[in-house]
Amino acid sequence: MKVHIEVGVDGGQQGCTGHGRCAMMAGEFYEVDDDGYAIHRGETVDVPAGLEDAARYGAGVCPERVIQIEE
Amino acid sequence: MAFKAQETEYTQPTQADVDESIRKYGRDIYNDFDLDAPVFNDQHFEILDDLVEKCPVVHSTVGKGYYLVSQNTLVREVGQNWRTFSAAGGYMPNRPDGLPFLYPEESDPPVHTSWRQELNPFMGPKVIKGYEEQIREDANILIDAIIDKGKCEFVSEFAAVLPGWAFFKNVLGVPVEDLDKLVDGVESGTFSPDLDERGRKMGFVFQYLGDYLKKRSEEPPRGDMVDMIAEGVTYEDGSKSPWEHRVSVLVDMTFGGIATTTYVMASAINWLAENPEQRKLLVDDPETYMPRAIEEFARVFAPVVALGRTCTRDVELGGRQLKEGDFVMMVYAGASRDPRVVDEAKTIDITRETVLHSAFGVGIHRCIGSNLARLELRATFEELLRRIPEFHVVEPPTHVSGFLRSMRTLKIAW
Ligand code: HEM
Ligand code: SF4
Repeated sequence: MKVHIEVGVDGGQQGCTGHGRCAMMAGEFYEVDDDGYAIHRGETVDVPAGLEDAARYGAGVCPERVIQIEE
Repeated sequence: MAFKAQETEYTQPTQADVDESIRKYGRDIYNDFDLDAPVFNDQHFEILDDLVEKCPVVHSTVGKGYYLVSQNTLVREVGQNWRTFSAAGGYMPNRPDGLPFLYPEESDPPVHTSWRQELNPFMGPKVIKGYEEQIREDANILIDAIIDKGKCEFVSEFAAVLPGWAFFKNVLGVPVEDLDKLVDGVESGTFSPDLDERGRKMGFVFQYLGDYLKKRSEEPPRGDMVDMIAEGVTYEDGSKSPWEHRVSVLVDMTFGGIATTTYVMASAINWLAENPEQRKLLVDDPETYMPRAIEEFARVFAPVVALGRTCTRDVELGGRQLKEGDFVMMVYAGASRDPRVVDEAKTIDITRETVLHSAFGVGIHRCIGSNLARLELRATFEELLRRIPEFHVVEPPTHVSGFLRSMRTLKIAW
C-alpha cells in the first residue's frame, strides 16, 4: 500500500494546508512538522506492514481530502 | 484515486421542497435565505440539514444578494481555490463600506502567504503543547470559583473566560490585570444586544491591541508571536507591511479565537449534561473517547456557520452560473453534516472513529488556532469531568446565530 499526500498549487490549492488531523488521529503513521503540515506532503510513501488501517484512517479524517491511498 | 470529488448531478429543490420550507420556516430558504433571520437561530440544525440535502446553491436576496453552498465537495471547491474565490473582498456578505480589512483572513496570496508563513510556527502543535499546564491550571481556577455553589451559568462563568485567558495570557502575554476588561470587551464587543455598547467595547479592544503592539515594539523582544507581528513581514514586492496591517493581524487573531471556542465548549457541556451515558464513557475512558469527542463536538457545534468569498471571474458552481463579483458563502456548519460524506450525519456520537468535518475551514485560510482550541476543549472536559462528573441542565441554553453561532446562557447544577 502507498500513500500520496498532495501538496497543491502555490502551497494551498487542493493540497495539505496543515490541519494536522492525520497525525492527531493516526499518529502511528502520519507525522507533521512544527507548523502542523504533513512531513510527507508532495511525496508518495510506502505504508509499512501493519499500519494500513492507520493510513486509511488518517486519509478519512483529512478535511482537505488530499491524502490518496493506493491499495 | 480515492477521495476525489465524485461527479454529482446538481438538482435544485422542487416546488414541493419550497412549499415545505415555507410551511416549516415561514420562508423559502432556498431562494430567499437570510443568515440573520430569527428562524435560522431557532431551527438552526433543521435548516442546515435541508440546505445540505436539498439545495446545491442557495440564493439570498438580502442587500446586494449572495449565494451559499453547503455540500462538502462544493465547500471544498470554493475554499480550496482562492484564485477564483477571493477572500480579499471580506468574509461577510453586504460588508459595510470603509470597514478596514482584517489580515490574514481577508487577504489572498501573496500577502496571505507572507503572514501565514510567519504566524504558523507560533500556533503549531509544538508551541501550543507548551501552554497545556497553564490552561489546565486556569480551568481549575474557574472550577474552584463555582464548585461549592453547586450551580453556575456556564457561559459567563467558564466558557467565555477560559479561551480569553488562554489566548491573552499565553499567546499575547498581556498583563494579568488587563484580562477581565479584555475578555469582557471581546464578548460584549461581539454579542452585546445594545449596538452602542457593542461599538464601544469593540473600539476599546482595537485601541488596546494597537497600543499593546506599539508598547511591545518598543520593549526588549520576548521571541513570541507579538514580537513577530510588531516586526511585520516583507511582502512579495519587497515592501514592509504597513503598521495598520500589523494591528489588523493582532485583531484577527484575537476575535477569531475566543467566542468560537466558547460555543463548542458550552454546547458540549450542555449535551454531556443531557447524555449521561456518553458522559460516563468520557469519564471512564478518556484515552479512547476524548479525541473523538472533541472532533465530534466541533463537527456538530460549528461556531463558524458560514464565511464568504468573492468570485474573481464568471464560474459555474454546483450547476449554477455565478458572475464575477458575486459573493458566495461556504456553509462550513453544513458541510460537516453532509450525509454524502458523514454516516448518520444528524446523530451526535462521540464514539465515532472517523470524524470528517470542516469546522476549522478548508483551504489556505484553515483555522490557525485549531491546535489551541483543541487543547482548551480537552483541558476543560478533562478537568471539569474529573471534579464535577455529574451535572444537569437547569435552564436550557439560548443562542444567537448569523454567520457565527454562539450560546448566550447555560444554567447547570450538580
Ligand atoms: C473551536 C474553535 C474554532 C473554530 C471552530 C474556528 C474556525 C475557523 C474557521 C472555519 C476558519 C476559516 C476561515 C475561512 O475559511 O475564511 C478559521 C480561521 C481562523 N481562525 Fe479559527 N476557529 C477556532 C478557534 C480559533 C482560535 C483559538 C484562534 C486563535 C487563537 C483562531 C484564529 C483564526 C484565524 C486568525 C483565522 C484566519 C486564518 C487565515 O485567514 O489564514 N481560531 N477559524
Ligand atoms: S490532515 Fe490533511 S491537510 Fe491536515 S496535515 Fe494531514 S494531510 Fe495535511
